[in-house]
Formats: sequence, C-alpha cells, structure tokens
Amino acid sequence: MTKRKILIIDDEPHFTRMVKFNLEETGEYEVAVENEASHGVEAAMDYNPDVILLDVIMPGMEGPDVIFQLKNTESVKHIPVIFLTATVTKDEVEANHGTIAGYSFLAKPTSLTELIDCIERKTQPQY
Amino acid sequence: MNLKKFLRILVIENNEIDCKILKGMLSESSVGTFQLDFTDSLHKAFEYLQKHNFDVVLLDLNLPDCKGLETLKRVNDEFPDIAIVINTGAYEDDLGLKAVSHGAQDYLIKGKYTSYALSKALYYAVERKRVEEELKSAYTRLKEAQSQLIQIEKMNVIGGLASGVAHEVKNPLATILYGIEYLTQKIQTEDEKIGLTLKTMKESAQKANNIVKDLLDFAHSSKLDRKPENLNDIIEKSLQLTKVLLDKHRVQAIKQFGVIPSISVDANRIEQVIVDLILNAAYVMPEGGALVFRTLTRKLTKNYNDVIFYIDKKFSVGDSIVLVEIEDTGPGIPAEIKDKIFDPFFTTRRASGGVGLGLSVAKNIIQSHGGEIMLENRKEGGARVKICLKV
Ligand SMILES: Nc1ncnc2c1ncn2[C@@H]1O[C@H](COP(=O)(O)OP(=O)(O)OP(=O)(O)O)[C@@H](O)[C@H]1O
Ligand SMILES: [Mg+2]
Repeated sequence: MTKRKILIIDDEPHFTRMVKFNLEETGEYEVAVENEASHGVEAAMDYNPDVILLDVIMPGMEGPDVIFQLKNTESVKHIPVIFLTATVTKDEVEANHGTIAGYSFLAKPTSLTELIDCIERKTQPQY
Repeated sequence: MNLKKFLRILVIENNEIDCKILKGMLSESSVGTFQLDFTDSLHKAFEYLQKHNFDVVLLDLNLPDCKGLETLKRVNDEFPDIAIVINTGAYEDDLGLKAVSHGAQDYLIKGKYTSYALSKALYYAVERKRVEEELKSAYTRLKEAQSQLIQIEKMNVIGGLASGVAHEVKNPLATILYGIEYLTQKIQTEDEKIGLTLKTMKESAQKANNIVKDLLDFAHSSKLDRKPENLNDIIEKSLQLTKVLLDKHRVQAIKQFGVIPSISVDANRIEQVIVDLILNAAYVMPEGGALVFRTLTRKLTKNYNDVIFYIDKKFSVGDSIVLVEIEDTGPGIPAEIKDKIFDPFFTTRRASGGVGLGLSVAKNIIQSHGGEIMLENRKEGGARVKICLKV
C-alpha cells in the first residue's frame, strides 16, 4: 500500500519538523511542510496530499483564509482539512465532538495517537 | 418634611433656667409636637442616648464635664446617626460655622430665637441629617460599583493576556511533546536513565500544559449570570446609584421608557455599563444638562440607521431588538478621538482621575451578551450612546 500524503501548513518550523518526524516514523505517511500560510494553496496544488493539517493563527494570513482559498481552488477543494491549533482548548473541541463550524479540530498539544486517529478517520473511503 | 411627626429631643443642658425656657417654648409651639428629656452632663447624656431613641440632640457647649467644640465632636463620634443642634450662650464669630462643619445640623444662640424658629430649626435639623445620611450611603454604593468595575476590567485584561500567553506557550509545548514521543520510539537502550529522563521530560511538559489550562479556565471564569430582566428596571437602579453625582452636576435625568420585553442578561453587568455611561455623561456636563434614557423594541430594518448593527454580522435585518439610547447635552465627542474612546486606558480626563476603562469594559460586557454598543454625536449637540441587544 502506498503511503498517505500529509501536508502541514503551520508557521512554527519546530512544530512542523516534529510532526513530520513522528508521522514518517510510523511508516504510513509521507509529510510535506509549508511554513508560509500564503503559499499554502500552492503547496497543496503541487503536492496533492490526502489530508491537510492547518494552523489557525499564522502571520500574514489566518487559517480560515487559507481554507477559503483551498475551497475555492478546483484541484484541491476535495482534500480534507484538519485544524491543528492552540486557539481552541481540548474542552471546547470535545464539547463540539471534534468539529467546529463543520471542520475537524485538534487542540494543541494533542497526542500523536489522537492525531493519527483523526487522520485515519479523514482518509477513510467514506470521506 | 413632615411637621406632624412627633420629635424626640434630648436636651443636654446644665442651666436650669435655660431648660425651663426650652420647655416653655416647645410646649407652646405652634409647629409640631415634641417629647423632651433633660440631662445635665455629657456622660449622663451618653447613657440616655444608649438606652433610648432620639431624633435630635439640643446641645449646650458649656457642660460641667466638657466644653466647646469638643462636646460636639464627642457626641458626633459616639452617635453618628443623630441630628445635633447646638444651643449655646457663648457667641463667637466663626464658632457657628465650625460647629456645622464638625457635624452639627444647626447652631442657635440662646435668647436670640423665638419658639417658632426653634421648632423649625429642630425639624430642619432632622431632615438635614436624613438627607446627609442618604447621600453618604449613595456615595458608598457608587464607590463600590466603581471598584467592582475596575476589578472586572482587571480580570478582562488578565483574560486577554492569559489567552495570548496560552497560545504562545501551547505551540512550543506541542513541539516538545512530539519531540519526546519521537525520541521515546527511536531510542531503544539498556540505559534506564535515558528512559527515565524522557519520561520526566514528558510529565513536566504535560504539567506545564495543565498550568496553562488552569490559567485559561481562571481567565474565562467571569461567566455571565443571565436571567430574563427588564432593561427599564436596570436603568432605574443605575440612576439610583448615581443620583448623588447627577444632582451635584445638576444633570436632569429624563426617562422615556418604552414597553419592552424582558431579555436574558446579567443584570449586574448591564447595570455596570449603564452606571459608567451615566458617569461619562455627568463628567462632560459639569455645568448641568439633561440626560435622556430612551428604551424601545423593534425589528431591525434596512435603514441607514441600522446598517451599523450588521457590520459584525451579529445582527440581521428582521431581528427583534431592544434598543437603549442615552443622550446627553454635553460637548459631544471630538472627531479626533472618535476612534479611540473604546480603547482600554484611553481617557481625556486623566488629570481628574479617569482611568479610561469605562467604555472598553462597557463594550466587552455588551458584546459578551451578543449585543453592540456605539457612541455618536447628535445633530442637536451632545452625544448619544446606543446599545442594541437581541430579544
Ligand atoms: N458622553 C460623552 N461625551 C463626550 N465624550 C465622551 C463621552 N463619554 C466618553 N467620552 C470620551 O471618551 C473617553 C473614554 O471614556 P471611558 O469611559 O472609556 O473612560 P473615562 O471616563 O475617561 O475613564 P473611566 O471611565 O475609566 O473612569 C473619555 O475620557 C471622554 O473623552
Ligand atoms: Mg468613563
């Protein structure tokens, strides 16, 4: 089985590096990193990932702007997005059963298991 | 003033002739009715005052056990609730004024008044004392409300800081925790200390995360306590709280209350907002003026006047709202500060004790109710506050 492709868009290079190391360590995923929010859509078009992990607050552009652009770009609009962000708390996410305004949310810091579970759910055929 | 009310008077006087004169004057008085008790020294007077209720003390300043203003001071310190009228034979030019500034309600010179004047003086003294007490308690309540406001804003500042800090701290924590997870998987070694080190690091990072979480909980703990309330009642109460200040500034409050539905709000918070708006208006009208409170309910329209409410998408056309308008006859808001008045710590009256939190707190509170607040200048002059809340 081919590896699933994950794109992470987040302005924290340290954080994205750790996500990449961990996800690739499982042997299941291949991870591309984009630290510039304004290049997010381009990166998605180039890489064509199976899932996008997106931070909400980034300099220059906020997560919702990125998602707005993603959803307005024909070639990438189908790609599932998971918000991975410190702007929400775990309690808020749980109170909303993992989705806020229709999007999947994970509150930083989230354990690796939670992250992987969420990615798996998003890449299952029914999505 | 109710002249029919029966006044209980304690005469503190050691001169028998003076006592007789007073008795005569007050028993034949055409104004009011009096019950007189006599005592001839200060310490006996204290015993009396402790045991019985009196409305007013008629006090000589030349008693065997105390003389001069000291006498007044001691009565006033010991029994701050009772009205005091000085009745003395010693006439000194400024003693009368001094006595009044030391808490006496009036100052009479023996032999220089009629029965009528004495009776009136006693009734006036009781009334003056009552009003004084009322002002005092209103002032205390106002002070309390003000310090509560400052407390709330401090909490808001902490809340804002905490959320900012939490975000900044959670990012590196997430990185550290993923780093530890990675190393834990990668490093397979016999050295127990390495495993223990990673475990310790992980637990410490999680502990830091819990602290951030507690901080956030604390910051958000100032939740609203919402119940159905009528805004007219809340305005009424705020007016009571600020009555002293409004009277002092000779600002006339005009109520144009509409029949409005109850809405779910935190009455204490809304009261704080109204009080603060009243204070603002009072400060810009030091020479007096009018303050109109208008409440009404209606549906939002596409009209120019309502457009402002749609900006944040909090409201839409057709929403039922309660609108509170507060209009003053002050100078209005200068154009150059219009954009700043809602900023925390922006004030044009720093010198006279303004902190600059009033409007920023007000905005915070109204917005946390899902409403909107704005200030505009009136065509006729003066400023108008509009508070819009959903029914
Ligand atoms: N009704 C009004 N008319 C004209 N200017 C006003 C009015 N209300 C407020 N302002 C202006 O807005 C500024 C900010 O008001 P705000 O209530 O936030 O702070 P403040 O009254 O100066 O201080 P605080 O309320 O903290 O004691 C005021 O200093 C004043 O310049
Ligand atoms: Mg103010």
